[in-house]
Amino acid sequence: MARYLARRLVTLVGIVIIISVGAFYLIHLLPGDPATVILGTGDSPQNRARLYAQLGLNRPIIEQYFVWMKNVLHGNLGISFISQVPVWTTIRAALPIDLEMIVLSQILSFAVAIPLAMSSAKRPDSWLDRFLGAFSFTMLSIPAFILVVVLVLVVAIKLAVPHTGVSSYVPLSQDWVTNLESMALPSIVLAIGSVTVYYRVLRSDLIATLQQEYITLARSKGISQRRILWRHALRPSSVALLGTAGVNIGGLLAGGFIVQYLLDIPGLGYTLVNSIGLSDYLVVQGIVLVVSIGVIVINFVFDFLITLVDPRIARE
Amino acid sequence: MSDETLLRVREVTTTFDTPQGRLTAVDGVSFDLAAHESVGVVGESGSGKTVLSRTIMGLQPRRGVSVTGSVLLNGTEVVGATEEAKRELWGRQVAMVFQDPMTSLNPVVKVGRQIDEVLRVRLGMDRSAARARAIELLEMVGIPAAVTRYGAYPHSLSGGMRQRVVIAIALAGSPQLLLADEPTTGLDVTIQAQILNLLDEVQGRLGMSMILVTHDLGVVATRTTRLVVMYAGRVVETGTTRDVFARHRMPYTRALLESSPKVSNPSHTRLAAIPGRPPNLLDLPTGCAFAPRCAYATDRCTSERPVLEPADEPGHLFACFNPLPLRVGSPS
Amino acid sequence: MSSSLELSELVEEATEAPDGRRLGVLFWVCVGWLALNLLAAILANVLPLPNPLTQDYNAINAGPSLHHLFGTDDLGRDIFSRVVFGSRVSIEAGLGSMVIGFGVGAPLGMLAAYRRGRFDQVLTVVMYVVLAFPAIIATIAILSFWTPRTLLKIIVVVGVAAIPLVYRVIRTATLAVATQDFVVAAKVQGASDTRILVRELLPNVAPIAVSFLLIGVATVVTLEGSLAFLGLSVAPPTPSWGNMINESRTILQLNPWLALFPSAAMCLFLLSLNFIGDRLRTHFDVTEGKL
Repeated sequence: MARYLARRLVTLVGIVIIISVGAFYLIHLLPGDPATVILGTGDSPQNRARLYAQLGLNRPIIEQYFVWMKNVLHGNLGISFISQVPVWTTIRAALPIDLEMIVLSQILSFAVAIPLAMSSAKRPDSWLDRFLGAFSFTMLSIPAFILVVVLVLVVAIKLAVPHTGVSSYVPLSQDWVTNLESMALPSIVLAIGSVTVYYRVLRSDLIATLQQEYITLARSKGISQRRILWRHALRPSSVALLGTAGVNIGGLLAGGFIVQYLLDIPGLGYTLVNSIGLSDYLVVQGIVLVVSIGVIVINFVFDFLITLVDPRIARE
Repeated sequence: MSDETLLRVREVTTTFDTPQGRLTAVDGVSFDLAAHESVGVVGESGSGKTVLSRTIMGLQPRRGVSVTGSVLLNGTEVVGATEEAKRELWGRQVAMVFQDPMTSLNPVVKVGRQIDEVLRVRLGMDRSAARARAIELLEMVGIPAAVTRYGAYPHSLSGGMRQRVVIAIALAGSPQLLLADEPTTGLDVTIQAQILNLLDEVQGRLGMSMILVTHDLGVVATRTTRLVVMYAGRVVETGTTRDVFARHRMPYTRALLESSPKVSNPSHTRLAAIPGRPPNLLDLPTGCAFAPRCAYATDRCTSERPVLEPADEPGHLFACFNPLPLRVGSPS
Repeated sequence: MSSSLELSELVEEATEAPDGRRLGVLFWVCVGWLALNLLAAILANVLPLPNPLTQDYNAINAGPSLHHLFGTDDLGRDIFSRVVFGSRVSIEAGLGSMVIGFGVGAPLGMLAAYRRGRFDQVLTVVMYVVLAFPAIIATIAILSFWTPRTLLKIIVVVGVAAIPLVYRVIRTATLAVATQDFVVAAKVQGASDTRILVRELLPNVAPIAVSFLLIGVATVVTLEGSLAFLGLSVAPPTPSWGNMINESRTILQLNPWLALFPSAAMCLFLLSLNFIGDRLRTHFDVTEGKL
């Protein structure tokens, strides 16, 4: 187990380094003068001079990377040439909102998907199973942004649910009731996407698990069906679910961008889209770096969870 | 031995609905089992013996299966009972030792937990009492270092050890009837005897009744008092183990006996394979199901189905129109 | 083996037969719908449709009528015509990027699985590293600064991002076939590598590739819509489903038709793609885990 995790950790560090190179060279992949792109609308002789000093743009490109990397490791992602605010400050303000949104939506997704998958797997091909199958398949095909539009139309406008807007966003630490009210809609929208995926993955694995001989043995002990499902069938069926969940978070962040953009929730996605609009390159670069590393770390965490759920995995 | 009947099986028929039609896996099987007695159910693959053992326990899948007849276990009717009612029996009155220990233990649950689940859920023991008892059971089935093994996952145990765990699970609820369904199929030959001896020992020690299901007559020769020989879902011969071995009348029983390796044989003795294949249960011949493979078959065998008829010895029945002549001297 | 195992095999065999052969009515309905969409997109110029850019000042935010089948938007443009013309962007993006993704990823995946050895090892590691990079974020990042944004750039970026995904699927699928007896037999008989790849492996990998292709197109269409929604796809006034839905946001209450029709068109298109892909996959018996 320890060796398995150590090996994964080495891969993780390797990937993070590659990502940092990617994020750094992003600017050089694009046609045109990097300085012009980075400065965007903030292009002035003074800023240009500051940029050259900050990034060492005169120096060889390898050296530039190490200068940049050293700064990044010190939490210095540069100072935006548009807003004049340190990039890390901007990201640190937005990041908790994304984390909260993901945590809320994932709790919601698992809370809904697991019982639904169980009730389907208990009786495959029952009317409930068929209905859930068709319904989840349909939902799977509806893009998040359409879902948002529909939900906003129905919930926010028709039902006049308050607290959806940047002016009314309140940090969790300040007033959790208002905060949760404003986070409910975006979390639900994100959860709908996850629920359909988790439901389908878990259902098919549960059905396979329930046909295993060890489930018959568990039945022969005379324990309840509920206990068989939760204690005996869920864990061995969760490997693919956790793997999917780990990968899903990446898509979730992207989906989250759209939700935030539409509902004016000042998370990373909202900041990213705004920064793109302002051509604020450094902020975009910082967010890409932070989010990429975040996705990798989350993947690693879920890989670790899988080894906890199924002790056989780490041995292979 | 007590005459008190623990299990009464009467005209049990188990059918499966398949898209190709109705498949009769067990057809009109009847037998009795006394308390403390052990009975062997023998037959080839596809003879219905596994389905029969699951039917006795009421452990068939919930859908696509129908059972008729009667299985009276300690006065409780199993056929047609609700899942809730059967749950009361399972673990406490009847338990099963499964075929393949590589697949019958939950791979993600520690073996100790799989044993003390019965103790805690069914017997209402508290955590520490259940743990202590589970370790006791592990020791009883011959697992060394039981305290450490309590916290082990199945994948770290050998096949033989796993089967011992499966037996410990079955014994946890102190059942009166133990169903052992080909308990050594998945094991090394050297381990097989150990497991069978263990079953034999605990059966005697705990005073349980046991049904030992196997394709290998050698397995049941010394460990059972009576035998039920099955072919194509039907009982074709039954009697005391001694009678079936020494005075069998049904050609199929002899074929089974000849295909079973015997220690007494000189080495390199050629085993006689039974010619042909077991019949397709979806499309059984009208007459005796064994007739197409039988050297003694006559026209009557292919047109008319033989029923169980008493032999000379009490309790010895066979279904054959052309019974084998009694041999002088016993083969085992 | 045991009788119960044999029995379950028997039951399985019996249940598979009728299910596996038929694709079902719904499958063909979806195929028909996709064909209709494709045809409309190709023939949009020839069809008797109003110009999608022409503004009808007499009908602004009008509801559906005989004159404007789906109504008009806030600039008086015909929604039906814009939905039809808008489908071109989605279809071009989906097919274009999959041409790149499959054009590069599929041959590499097949070759890697067939050759194995060093070639396979190196390529697979490279692909998995690229795969670890969150493609969506990278795509957004690259597109946001690679101005001016054109459909071709989106196709290139998304297509390149799809290469490792296609590689992985095709490699796994080929691997499953390449070890089977008939391939080994062909090798022993001295068939050339090209012949084995084309005649033995390709026909077996193709069904999986097709179903993954369809699901891939659906994913790209969704992605393009999301990009358009964030203002990162083709610039207005060019009609695209994503653009239309994005434009409808501000006047959602005033003119729900503007949101409804492109959304419905997109969802039905995606649903058809996914359904066909899913059906083909189950038809050719590929488990979900493999994709």
